[in-house]
Amino acid sequence: MTTALFSEDQRDALQELTNIGMGQAGASVAAVLGEFVQLSVPRILVLKPSLIPPALERIVGPEKVTAVRQGFHGDLRGEAVVVYGVAHCRELADLMGYDEVPDEATEHELLLDVSNVLIGACLGGLAEQISAEMGFSAPSLMATEVEVGSLLDVSRMDSPCALFVEVNFSLEKRSFACHLIMLLPEDQILVLRDAIDRFLASL
Amino acid sequence: MTELTHGELGGFIADRVEIGVFAVDVEFKVTLWNRFMATHSRHSAADVLGRNLFEVFPELPRSWLERKVRHVQALRNYAFTSWTQRPYLFRFDHNRPITGGVDAMRQNCTFLPVKNEAGEVVQVCVTVQDVTDNAIAHEELAASMAEIEREKAEQRKLIGELAQAQNQLLQSEKLASIGQLAAGVAHEINNPIGFVNSNLGTLASYVDELMVVLDAYTGAHDQIPESLRSAIDAQIKGVDLDYLREDLVNLVTESRDGLDRVKKIVQDLKDFSRMGESEAAWADLHHCLDTTLNVVANEIKYKAEVVKQYGELPEIECVASQLNQVFMNLVVNAAQAIAEQGTITVSTGTEGEQVFVSVRDTGAGIPPEVLKRIFDPFYTTKPVGTGTGLGLSVSYSIIERHGGRIVVNSKLGEGTEFKIWLPLHYPAAKTDDS
Ligand SMILES: Nc1ncnc2c1ncn2[C@@H]1O[C@H](COP(=O)(O)OP(=O)(O)OP(=O)(O)O)[C@@H](O)[C@H]1O
Ligand SMILES: [Mg+2]
Repeated sequence: MTTALFSEDQRDALQELTNIGMGQAGASVAAVLGEFVQLSVPRILVLKPSLIPPALERIVGPEKVTAVRQGFHGDLRGEAVVVYGVAHCRELADLMGYDEVPDEATEHELLLDVSNVLIGACLGGLAEQISAEMGFSAPSLMATEVEVGSLLDVSRMDSPCALFVEVNFSLEKRSFACHLIMLLPEDQILVLRDAIDRFLASL
Repeated sequence: MTELTHGELGGFIADRVEIGVFAVDVEFKVTLWNRFMATHSRHSAADVLGRNLFEVFPELPRSWLERKVRHVQALRNYAFTSWTQRPYLFRFDHNRPITGGVDAMRQNCTFLPVKNEAGEVVQVCVTVQDVTDNAIAHEELAASMAEIEREKAEQRKLIGELAQAQNQLLQSEKLASIGQLAAGVAHEINNPIGFVNSNLGTLASYVDELMVVLDAYTGAHDQIPESLRSAIDAQIKGVDLDYLREDLVNLVTESRDGLDRVKKIVQDLKDFSRMGESEAAWADLHHCLDTTLNVVANEIKYKAEVVKQYGELPEIECVASQLNQVFMNLVVNAAQAIAEQGTITVSTGTEGEQVFVSVRDTGAGIPPEVLKRIFDPFYTTKPVGTGTGLGLSVSYSIIERHGGRIVVNSKLGEGTEFKIWLPLHYPAAKTDDS
């Protein structure tokens, strides 16, 4: 793990900012889903691309997963991935107030929707903290029912390292849970670091 | 020419851009309706503005759309829909009135929050993008991928069938060439066997006659003059005449037994090479089985209990004598596989258009390296003189001639099952048959 890109102070600040951002996200997601959302303390790692899949595997466990990716752009540019355990996907319909068992297209639409909500809320929360402007591209289905390890094709990542921020969501009354991972390429890590510095200076 | 203000320019573009753009307030009252929307929906801006969206378009998925807009308001964030999950929001004609391919325009939509100074979402703007061309291309691609996958699966299946057919071909080819050889050998052996057999017959009767003559001489032994008698006695002693007389008869009997065995082998070879073919007729397999079991009963009664599990069988068209031979082979093999004491289960029944006969034993089972070769002619694991190794290969060719098949299932230490399937009709003779 190379967190050397961040000083101790910057790292703490980032932790704090994501925490606050996520807290707000939790509140707005709860407002949408009508259920209280529990968020983990974000895990922040700077990793070489080849180490991302094993890190994911460690976090998610050995089950098969379905994942949605969404790009974000503007002051910060990167990709967010929401990873669902296959069993949890089925709960989404119920969660989103569908009565019948959804067909595949509906189930996928739900996945995209929920992912969009989670990513928008979390990244929006973070962006607000560091006063960054951010836009989102349409979310897309990355893979359905695959091994976690094969989710990301790291051979195609050309950034030497990436910021890996992981939060997991769970609902108080249900077993539903998923993981949100934000990936920033190296040049964007520097942008984020400057933003953190500005934030620290403004205190 | 007067300059356009920034706002006018924006308004102009929003109106004329080749993308549907419209906006609604929190009550779903329409606040913006651009040309794209007007042309495709055939509802002009004047007609739609200020009215409730669902009142003008009652066919819209209302609760879904309400939820979507609520999310945008609550989260103050974008939302999206993709044609892959929801083909369209508005049912518009597509841009392919001639070439066609889909029922309606495929659409990707983006919902963007329109915020006031305070950052509250007061309206939601929706863009509707025509992605029909992409969608058709995508679907064509998916269809060809599926087609390729299907062809691949077909190919895999064909390759499997081919390998199986080749195996069968190899087996029947082996049998055919062995058959030719066997036919030749059987023919060649038959002649000498014929005269050896008749000579042996003659020899046996000569021996009998000689014995009678010898007895007569022996009876006159005492009348022979003393001087000659001692010389004759010495000769009788020298050849051990008593033993010789006894052994001579034994030798003739053993030779005839041996010859019978050779005749049986030649018979097997003949059957094997179709020389012994006879006419097919309708027969009751249960009757065949019972006869066969009777014939071998003596050989197997100390070793195995025979359990019959006969089902309902129609008569089938077959060469009963040949099938008898098959059943006999199987039952004898089964008994031979049982070391001390076991059970041989003979079951029958129908499966689809075919009948089956199964012979199952609780014997030693067949190790994999032997299993590969059991249908090979002359392959045997039994001591020299016990088995010729023709039983199963003869059975195989008989079953093949009947248009049926024979399979073996064996577990080491547990036992073996041979199962035969036969069609109701004997196959019509091939015209090129020689
Ligand atoms: N029921 C069985 N259990 C175990 N092994 C068997 C069984 N049937 C056949 N085999 C094996 O297959 C070999 C070939 O059988 P096949 O009937 O062709 O010849 P054989 O019995 O050895 O001689 P033959 O039948 O000509 O007297 C046998 O030697 C034996 O090893
Ligand atoms: Mg045999």
